[in-house]
Order: sequence, then C-alpha cells, then structure tokens
Amino acid sequence: MSHVTGTSVHVETGHGHGPPPRARHWALRAGWVRAAWMTGFFFLLGLGIVVFFRWLGGYDPTLDWEPVIVVAGLTMAPLGFLAGLGGFDYWVSYALGSPTRPEDHSGHGAYTWRDYFRVNTDHKVIGIQYVSSTVFFFLAGGLMAMLVRAELARPETEFFDTQTYNELFSVHASLMIFLFIIPAFAGLANYVLPLMIGAPDMAFPRLNALSFWLLPIAGIMLLASFFFPGVGAGWTNYPPLSTEQPFGNVFFSMAVQWAGASSIMTALNFLVTIITMRAPGMTFWRMPLLVWANFTTSLLVVIATPFIAGSQFFVMFDKVMHTNFFDPGENGYALGYQHIFWFYSHPAVYIMMLPGFGIASEVISTFSRKPIFGYRLMALSLMAILVLGFSVWAHHMFVSGMATYLRVPMMVTTLLIAIPTGIKVFSWLATLWEGRLHFSAPMLWALGFVSMFVIGGLSGVMLGAVPIDIHVSDTYFIVAHIHYVLLGGSLFTIFAGIYYWFPKMTGRMYNERLAKIHFWLTLVSFNATFFPMHLIGVQGMPRRVATYEPQFGDWNLFISLSSFVLGASFMIFVYNVIVSWKSGPPAPANPWRGMTIEWLVSSPPPVFNFDEVPQVVGNPYEYGVKGARHAILNGDRAAAELEPVRST
Amino acid sequence: MRRGAIVALVSIALVVAAVTTAIAYFVDWLPEQASEERQGIDLVFWVTVAICIFFFAIVASVSIYAAVKFRVRPDDESDGAPIHGHTGIEIVWTLVPTICVVVIAVLSAIVLAQNDKPKGDPLRVDVLAQQFAWQFTYPEEGEVRATNLYLPVDRSTRLVISARDVLHSFWVPEFGQKQDAVPGIVTTLIVTPTKTGDYRLICTELCGQGHALMRTRAIVLSQPEFARWLREQQQGPAEPPPGGEVDAQGTFVQTCGGCHELEQAGTSGQIGPSLNELALDPADVEEQIRKGGGGMPAFENDLSEAQIEALVQYLVGDDA
Repeated sequence: MSHVTGTSVHVETGHGHGPPPRARHWALRAGWVRAAWMTGFFFLLGLGIVVFFRWLGGYDPTLDWEPVIVVAGLTMAPLGFLAGLGGFDYWVSYALGSPTRPEDHSGHGAYTWRDYFRVNTDHKVIGIQYVSSTVFFFLAGGLMAMLVRAELARPETEFFDTQTYNELFSVHASLMIFLFIIPAFAGLANYVLPLMIGAPDMAFPRLNALSFWLLPIAGIMLLASFFFPGVGAGWTNYPPLSTEQPFGNVFFSMAVQWAGASSIMTALNFLVTIITMRAPGMTFWRMPLLVWANFTTSLLVVIATPFIAGSQFFVMFDKVMHTNFFDPGENGYALGYQHIFWFYSHPAVYIMMLPGFGIASEVISTFSRKPIFGYRLMALSLMAILVLGFSVWAHHMFVSGMATYLRVPMMVTTLLIAIPTGIKVFSWLATLWEGRLHFSAPMLWALGFVSMFVIGGLSGVMLGAVPIDIHVSDTYFIVAHIHYVLLGGSLFTIFAGIYYWFPKMTGRMYNERLAKIHFWLTLVSFNATFFPMHLIGVQGMPRRVATYEPQFGDWNLFISLSSFVLGASFMIFVYNVIVSWKSGPPAPANPWRGMTIEWLVSSPPPVFNFDEVPQVVGNPYEYGVKGARHAILNGDRAAAELEPVRST
Repeated sequence: MRRGAIVALVSIALVVAAVTTAIAYFVDWLPEQASEERQGIDLVFWVTVAICIFFFAIVASVSIYAAVKFRVRPDDESDGAPIHGHTGIEIVWTLVPTICVVVIAVLSAIVLAQNDKPKGDPLRVDVLAQQFAWQFTYPEEGEVRATNLYLPVDRSTRLVISARDVLHSFWVPEFGQKQDAVPGIVTTLIVTPTKTGDYRLICTELCGQGHALMRTRAIVLSQPEFARWLREQQQGPAEPPPGGEVDAQGTFVQTCGGCHELEQAGTSGQIGPSLNELALDPADVEEQIRKGGGGMPAFENDLSEAQIEALVQYLVGDDA
C-alpha cells in the first residue's frame, strides 16, 4: 500500500477484527423486527410522558391527542424506529462503556437485496438507498402534480374540495424539494464523491447511514398528512394561514425537521470528507467540479438549513404551545416568518442547483472530449453564488409589505447573481467548442439542462427587476419560472447524473435507446407544459387556485394534457432502470472514457473502493492533452486490469 | 475562429432572435394597460425581454452550431482541442452581463421610485381584506363603503391596505400594481387609472379555502361619474335604520354567495356547505353568522343588526 496522508483513515480490505458480536435474541437484534416494536414502545413512552404531565398539572382532558401526536407520533416513534433499526447502536455501546470496535466494517457492502434495507455504513450502498428512495418520492410527488393538473384542466372545480386541492400542491412541492431534489443530489454525491477524491468512504460512515434513515421518516410524515388534514398553506407555510390550518399542519413542521437534520448531517459529512480525505496530490485546484459543487452546497446547507428548522418550529409552537411568534393579534410579527423562511429558502434554490452544475460540468467535459473551459473561474463562480446567495432572500418579498427601502439593494444583489451564473453557462458552451461531441443520454440531459436552465435563468432576471416582479408575483409566471429552474434545471441534471453513473453504480449498462426516448419525450412535454404558464401568468392567472376564469381554460387544458405526457415519460425511465439493473449488459470500468478517479476502479467498485490509495498527478479534465493523467493507481496499472473484488 | 463559423453563428443567432421577437411581438402577452404605473412596468418588461432575447440568441446559436458541427460518430475515439480557457473572452462574458444587469437595475429603480409616488393630490381608499372578501372605505368622502373598488380616472389613488385574518394580496392585472395585505401592519399602494372600465380585482396570496373566489371588480369611472357615484353613496341609506327594509337576498349574494350554494338566491359557491338541503335552526344560523367557525369568518362586525336579522329570516324564514 502506498503512502497515506495523515488525515486519511486507515484502509481496510477485510471485515473488522476483534471478537464477533454477542449473539442476541432475534427480537433484540438491530433490524426491522426491533424497529417495529421499538417504534410502538417509544410511541407509548411519548404518550405516557404527555399523559403523566397533563395528569400532574390537572389539565382536562388528560389524554389530549394533539400533544400526543407531536410528542409521541412525530418525535418519539421515529426515534424508536431509528434506534430499533440500529442507527444508534455503536454510539450507545460506546456511551455505556461496552466494548466497541472502531474499525468495525461489518455494516459495509451489499451482498443481497436485504443489505439495502438495513443501517448500512457503505457510502455506495447509502448512495443507492438515497437515489432509489428519492425516486420513489419523486413518483409520489409527480402523481400529486397529475392530480393537480387534472383538477385544473377545466375552470370549475372537478375532483377535489379546495382544502384537499391545497394539500395536494403543498405536499407536491414539499416532497419534490425536501424528499427528491435535495436528497437525490446528496445520494448521487454520496456514491461518487468519495470515489472521485480517492477516499475509501465518507468521513463519518455511521452518521452517513443515520442521515439516510431520517429521510423515509420525513417522507412518510408528508404522505401521512393526507390523513391528518392541515398541510394546506403551500410549501411556504406562511402564517397566520399555517397557524390557522387544521392540526395536521404539524406534520409539515416536523417532516421539515427530520429532512433538515438529514441534510445538515450529510453536509457536515461532505465538508469533513472533502477537506480531510482527498487522495495525496489532490489539491483544491485539482478537485473535479462535482466536488467543488458539493463543497459549496454543503456550506449553504450547514449555514442556511437551521433557519427553516427554526421557522417551522416557531409555527408549530404557535400552534401547539400557544406561543405568539407570528400572531398579530398577540403582538406577533407575521412578516418576520417570511424573512426567516426565505433566509433559508433562497439559498435552498442554490442547494438545489449547484450540485447539478457539478454534474453538468462532469458530463459535458467527458462527452465533449475537452477540458472544462475556465476551470478556476467555474469553481470561483460557485463560491460567488454561495456568498451572494445569502444576500438576496427578500426578492421573494417585494410585494410582502416589508420595509420598502430593502427592495432596491435586494434587486441589485439578485441581478448580480446572473453574472457568475452566466459565466458558468458560457463556459459550458465554450467547452463544446471544437470538441468531439458524443450525444449519449447523459450528454443529452446535460445539454437539455443548459438550454432549459437558460430560459429559467432569464425569467429569473425578469423577476429580479422589482417592477416586473410586482406585476407577476404569485402568478403562473412564477410557477413557470420555478419549474424551468427546478425541473429543467435540477431534475435534468439528476437524470444526467443517474444515467452517467448508472454503469458505475449497478455494474450494468442501461438501454441507450429508451434513455433517449425518455429525454426527448420529457423535453418536449416539459416545454409544452410550462412555457404557456408564462403567458397565462402575465395575463393574470394567480397561482394556488383550484378554479379560475374561463378565459384561461384553453391554455390550461393544453397544459394539463401536456403534463400527463410529461408524467408518462418518467415511466420509461422507471422501466429502463429496473430492467437494465436486473439484466442489462455488464458495464466496463470506464464506459465513457472519463478521467476522474471513479472510472479507475471496477463497476461497481470494490467494497472499500481502492486496493491502494490513488495518486493524483494532474487536473481532472485533461482530455486531448497527450499523456496527461488525473490520477494513477500504483504507477501504470490500468483500471481495466484490476480484477473485480466484489465477490470477496 | 474561422470566418465561416462566425457567419454561421451570427445567422443562427439572427434567426433565433427573429423567432423569439416574433413570439414576443405577436402574442398578446400583457393584459390591457389601464394605469400609469403599468406604463413603467411595461417599459421595464420589454427592455428586459429584449436583453433576454439577446442572450438567448447567443446561447441558442452556439449550442445549435456546436451540436451540428462538432458532433462525431460514437466510435470516434479522438479528443477535442485541449483549450483550457481564454482570459480575454472570460472578461468579456463577465463584463457584458454586468453592464446589462446594471441597465436593468437602474431602470427598475427609477420606475419603482415613480410608481411609489402619487401624482398630485391622491384619493385615499382604505382596503380591508378578509377571508374571502374585499371591503373598500373612502374615509375622506364620508366613510362611504363598497365591496367593489370604484376609482376616478386620471387621479392617483393611495390604497391603504390592511388584513383582518391572514395574508392576502391586492392585484388588478390591468393596473400592474400588487401589494400584500398583512394582518398587524398597514401597507400602501399607489394606482393611477388611465382608462375607464371594469377590471378584475383578485387576491393573489393563498388565503385559505376560498382563495380562488376572493375576487371583486375594480371599476374606473370618469371623474364626473365618480363624483355622482360618491354622492349617491353618501346620500343613500349606508346603514339601513333598524326595522327598515333590508335587501336580504342582495346581502346574501354579496356576503355569503361566494362560499355557499343557494338555489333561491342563484349562488353556487362551493367553499362552505350548500344551504339548499340543510334544515336550519334560527338560533344556530344567527350564532354562525355572528361568530363564524368551521372555517367560516365571523360577520358580526361587518353586517348591521338588521342585516343579520334579515339574513336569518331569509334563510330559515320559510321553515320557521
């Protein structure tokens, strides 16, 4: 084994040493059985706490279901689930003074499908857990979008009462943002980032496993909110409407806590991993742009996410504990919520964009067979977006009634963000110039992303200008803009990433023809769905309505029909992924002739990624430079000669 | 760069610019312009659109040209030219967008400052937003009240906006101006109508189940007509005397019909329960109208005693 830098962890090629764990009774072993009974047990514990204190204080009724749901249902039961599944086992043993094995790798790797359903500490397994479960929530959120569009096909109410309708679009947005885009990027990066920097795993594998298992909890809470009505104030959950919603609104408040905690823990993990675990020779200026993108994204997450957690706690406290953060009747300040909320939720837009920028850079460079144009400026513009991103939140509030003098400075910073973003777009285009372009599926999605994102970015510039924003605020123009940015932007890069790394992650090739049909069908139906929304928005159709004026009926029917095609196009993806994963042709180590380190190891990589620590000797995108290498494994041994290590 | 490439790029860019300009020009994008503020808004809108078309044409021409010109067969294993960057061109594509956004920002700031200022002596109208209705009061004109917004043409109006329960937002697309109504604070908005007419006035901030129906009309009258309207309102029985005749059906249509269906009154609201089939008890009805509940706001402060009494009578009179 070659030299390991002081900060890298010791690489183990076998399972852990030390005595085997004591054999436990089957109901006490970490797993789904223990998770089931511990969930119930912790629920009862929470119920007991509430009942005991209400009895002690003489409150009537002693058994009040509202605090019981918050304490027992949304807090204690999930903790019991995580404990039962084994999320805390190591730390609990350590705290209790039981013998622990710091180099325990028994949680690593996936050998049967069951290994994907336990607390797994292997970043590659966690990456696949993330991507699969986020795709599930994407389909659930997409189904809600279909229902919303079905309702909107005609101007009158057709299928839903207005409260259900409000819950549909609120939960749709929440699922797509908190359970799909943000964690899908975290999942892709979880898989490829340690490989790209030549690390054997993430810095904190047990924390990594725990971060993943918080997600299904958040997702199930959002889905369960349909049985406890109340998430009907939009994903923005503005008070006082949110505090006046039925009690089920706490499902949103708590789901955001679980998803947010997951995000923050993952981001800390990425930061420590990137800072301390890069392979020897990999300076910051030799990091692939995906690593740069996740570095900046993680900084955004760590700094911003606590603000949305706070804002939702305040809303829930107002509702459950009768505090008065936002109730104007009790000297609360309703606008205060919006400042706190957008102080997170604007940076959140970049949390949902920057990892996609990273993926686009990888894909475009590889499939153009050219170095990325202006690498350093690409990295610096990410940092510029990170810094500027914290100074623009109030552009969501130009008509909110905030202090009017805030509008012009916030407009200026907002428009300034167009500059680093423009640099990125122009650099991608310049990367294409004089390249040797291969239009495989990942490249199609990446270029589709660039063109759709340009449209979303330009409508963003329009929205940055205060007078235009005043006219189109809260109309379908906004709906069009966010979908061009988040669907044409984030979703397209997520697909670029999934297709690009599918061979690496599964060891199989996907069906190229189906992937291309998926792309073209999505691209066309996406534009047919969302472009007309600009028009009806400017003309006066407000967002978040179940009924509207008949003059918008024809466009809405067209939009709804297009959206059904858009929804159907994802079925091609699901089919392609399932069939290819099961029986696609085996993937070579480096199907795209990429230069970054993940392509130096087999597909899928061995359990501990590298048998030896890679040496980074050059920049990551030296396509066309004679003899240039980004990294080498033991001198000149080519990746193709490595034997698959998976079957150990 | 070869000359042929430049010619091709410029031609594609011109075609794209022509197509997008045609879409911008021939599609009827903006609603009718009926206020001075909209003139400024429209100016910023079209200047920004022009800049957007410029950048979109560049991006489209480079991508289309590259996709056609630099495409290779799948089995081509050669690499592209190892170009790592070009400082000059990077400075250009940093500076040009900077200049463009500065232009947009300065123009926007000027228009914003103009739109915040009333022209001459403004008419004051107090706007009260509540779930799911608008109420307009003319405090300098003898506290005249209306549920439609009546405005004189060619005179600035200062809307003083407040909310009773949750956030709402005032918008008349033809005026362009928009402002949230926030419980606990008072916000203002300047509107200077330039055309007489009858426009949609809609709530654009999600305010609950009846949000989509929280609509009324903004009616712009000529100045003499407006004066006449004010006079009529001032003289008319703003608050009918106790025991006097109240138009129960009219009150129902205006106050309750947005949310409740009632065949007899010809309303078809779907927010609250339909009142066609319900067997109603007078005391319950009165309590519900006064105190609200179950999602329905309280109307104690908005309706006169006589109106409430008339409504109760109207709703349950036949069965009682």
